[in-house]
Amino acid sequence: MLIRIALKQQTVGVIALALVVAIGGVLNTLAFVQIAGTTPAERAAFAQQMTLLGAQLSYMLPVPVRIDTLAGYLEWRWFGTLVVIFGIWAAISASGSGRGDEERGLVEQWLAAGVGRARYLITRVAVFAAVAIIVIGAMQLSILLSADGEPLAGGDLFAMGFNLLATTLCCYGIALVIAQLVTTRRAAGGIAAGLFIALFLINGAGRTADVGAARWLSPFYLFERSRPLTEGGALDPLGIGALLGAGVVLLAIGVVTFARRDLGGTALPGTSRESRGTRSPSRDPLLRLPVLGPLRQQRIWVAAWLVGFVALSASLISITRTIVDSLTSSEVPFLRAYFERAGLSVYDSFVGVIWLSTATLLLSVYAIIQVASWSADDAEGRLATILSAPVSHTRVILERLATLLVAVGLIAAASSVAVYMVAAGQGITLDGGRVALAATLLLTIPFAFGSIGQFVAASRPRMAVVALSAVAVFSYFVQQFVPLFGWPDWVANLSLYTLYGAPMSGDIKWAGVAGLVGIGSVATAASLVALRRRDVGA
Amino acid sequence: MKDLAIETKDLTKDYGNGRGIFDLGLSIAEGEVFGFLGPNGAGKTTTIRLLMGLIHATRGSARIFGLDCDHDAVAVKRKVGYCPGELPQFGGWRGSEVVAYVAGLRGDVKDAAITTLAERLDLDLGRKYREYSHGNKQKLALILAFMHQPELVILDEPTTGLDPLVQQEFYGIVRDARTRGATIFISSHVLSEVEHVCDRVGIVREGHLATVSPLEDLVGMRAFRVEIDFADDVPVDRLKRVEGLDQLVVTDHRATGLLRGTFEPLMAAVAGTRVVGFTSREPSLEEIFLTYYR
Repeated sequence: MLIRIALKQQTVGVIALALVVAIGGVLNTLAFVQIAGTTPAERAAFAQQMTLLGAQLSYMLPVPVRIDTLAGYLEWRWFGTLVVIFGIWAAISASGSGRGDEERGLVEQWLAAGVGRARYLITRVAVFAAVAIIVIGAMQLSILLSADGEPLAGGDLFAMGFNLLATTLCCYGIALVIAQLVTTRRAAGGIAAGLFIALFLINGAGRTADVGAARWLSPFYLFERSRPLTEGGALDPLGIGALLGAGVVLLAIGVVTFARRDLGGTALPGTSRESRGTRSPSRDPLLRLPVLGPLRQQRIWVAAWLVGFVALSASLISITRTIVDSLTSSEVPFLRAYFERAGLSVYDSFVGVIWLSTATLLLSVYAIIQVASWSADDAEGRLATILSAPVSHTRVILERLATLLVAVGLIAAASSVAVYMVAAGQGITLDGGRVALAATLLLTIPFAFGSIGQFVAASRPRMAVVALSAVAVFSYFVQQFVPLFGWPDWVANLSLYTLYGAPMSGDIKWAGVAGLVGIGSVATAASLVALRRRDVGA
Repeated sequence: MKDLAIETKDLTKDYGNGRGIFDLGLSIAEGEVFGFLGPNGAGKTTTIRLLMGLIHATRGSARIFGLDCDHDAVAVKRKVGYCPGELPQFGGWRGSEVVAYVAGLRGDVKDAAITTLAERLDLDLGRKYREYSHGNKQKLALILAFMHQPELVILDEPTTGLDPLVQQEFYGIVRDARTRGATIFISSHVLSEVEHVCDRVGIVREGHLATVSPLEDLVGMRAFRVEIDFADDVPVDRLKRVEGLDQLVVTDHRATGLLRGTFEPLMAAVAGTRVVGFTSREPSLEEIFLTYYR
């Protein structure tokens, strides 16, 4: 019964993730032939240039090996990224098992029904492992089926899948232990995701600098030690052993800690409940103001995003010169033309591309998280409380969007200032007006995502996050693969990210911006109709 | 004649399979305290959510102070305070932040009124919502319902989770609201609960309104489920002659039945026997229905 319920809770997410990684695997496999060419000479030239590029991108991706082969390309480009996605998935899932179900009172119900604590958590871990195997298996199958004669051994791919599984379970163990130390799912997931990003950056730094033994703390380093796909490569016993060993120990710590701590409490000693002992309402005037009230309650969350995004923007811009110099020195005409077409050959354009492409992705993720909380408002009775006050459905819809846009506006503004200043420090002169305009236009992305999400949340709240994530993934894939496959513009314009364009690299695509505003406006109007018609809490 | 605070005509919400509320016709005058009684699943919460405009009627209409509950929802809620049966979740918000936020949404709330209610209900607003017990969450919901001194208060099983002392304080708050002229609509599944404060009571069962009566008529329905354990044989003949004792069942040395009216005839009937156990409890509404509305 426990297993069935745990599986049922994850069904939609598992299907969605399996589809995403399978499609991603296929597209990357097909893309290899497109960009690497088919003759040995073309592939040798491709490998030479990508090795140079890979060396410059080593802060993000592993150093490429045998990139003239599909196996080497997938190991570098696809699995190097995928391991981070699986790490974040593990963080989300473990925080849900270790804290989310407890917040919703489900754990109490299970324990009251006679289920042991250890059995409960071990079942959740086992179900996650089974699901991870299914997802990885689906991806491996899709890659093998689309390899189209390229040499790629099934056994090697299986070994890579095993390496990915071990890393994912290790990440799950880390997040499960963190979930025992805090009291909310949001805190557990946020801390785990932040820690994984830090461990990812430590590993990245370790590729070009000496970070000492710290690198061994990163599961991404342990993952990277194995190179089973490339010719002559294999699973690294030390890396795999450390991942499996750490995973087992962390999962055991998580289970034992859960068994010993109070439900609703943390495993940390001395964290007592604090009360300000008052009978009066809060005197903070912000709480009573539209938009600022909800924003005030999210202040720590918004501040964390702001600081994190500013730091990320600054670090990306700080390496602009190095990367652009590498790209523009390419001796392969195709690659040089590709980089020029993508706006990656001039410093200020590159700043725009690298900053804005990251910003659009992250801000859409921010919008998806907000939509998740709107869906929860309905399920957890907050929407009914709000509508029990003299508040119209229109105000609910518009206030949510306004809150989202104000938060994103703050994050984008801070990030644009950081980009401008760090670029100046690098000797790169940016057009301040264009930076400000690009940052302002960034608002169209969360507006479109938020409005679409609001419509789904108003119609089918439980589907909102999945549907909006599908829009984001689809938009990302279209944006990434249209240039590689030479698909027509109308296909490219199906991506919300493509509609935003690259406002610092050329003319602003006002039609695309208008498209985003139009999508947002139509979705907002549809949300109003949907929320008015639907029974709240149904 | 007083104006109507609540008026429903043929109000229906049909969820299928006989679930929901059907053809509800209610007229509740201003200043009245009305109890809405029914077993679990009878349609009480559905009725309340229709009145609050949170769900839409399949057919029929509901009006509050002459305003349509669906189309004039915002205007209606300026006059209404609401305590839901299922409490919302506010996670890490402190109680003081929740009341300030909802007060901001209403815009017509005096802080002193909140403080007075928190003191009467003995609720610490400094704690985080997730740390509140069920009873404390219920107290907070009651503060949100009464804090703006509404003309109509709609309460869905409001005493759930409250200890007896706080329940008495709650009845006091209801009486005070009534004194200043407010109309109160209370749903419950326990007859004795509405006896404390209500003028009239409507009883709903399986989605249909069974009766609307003044409270005194319903008090005549009061009955007790009694169980008597005898050391020796049960005096069956004497028990059968007890006035008001129905549904008598005798097994071994135990007799059970439903007693209406006073206990005196029963006590007289068992006098002289060796009674080793005697329990009485209020019957559930379902048992009352089985007795009175078959």
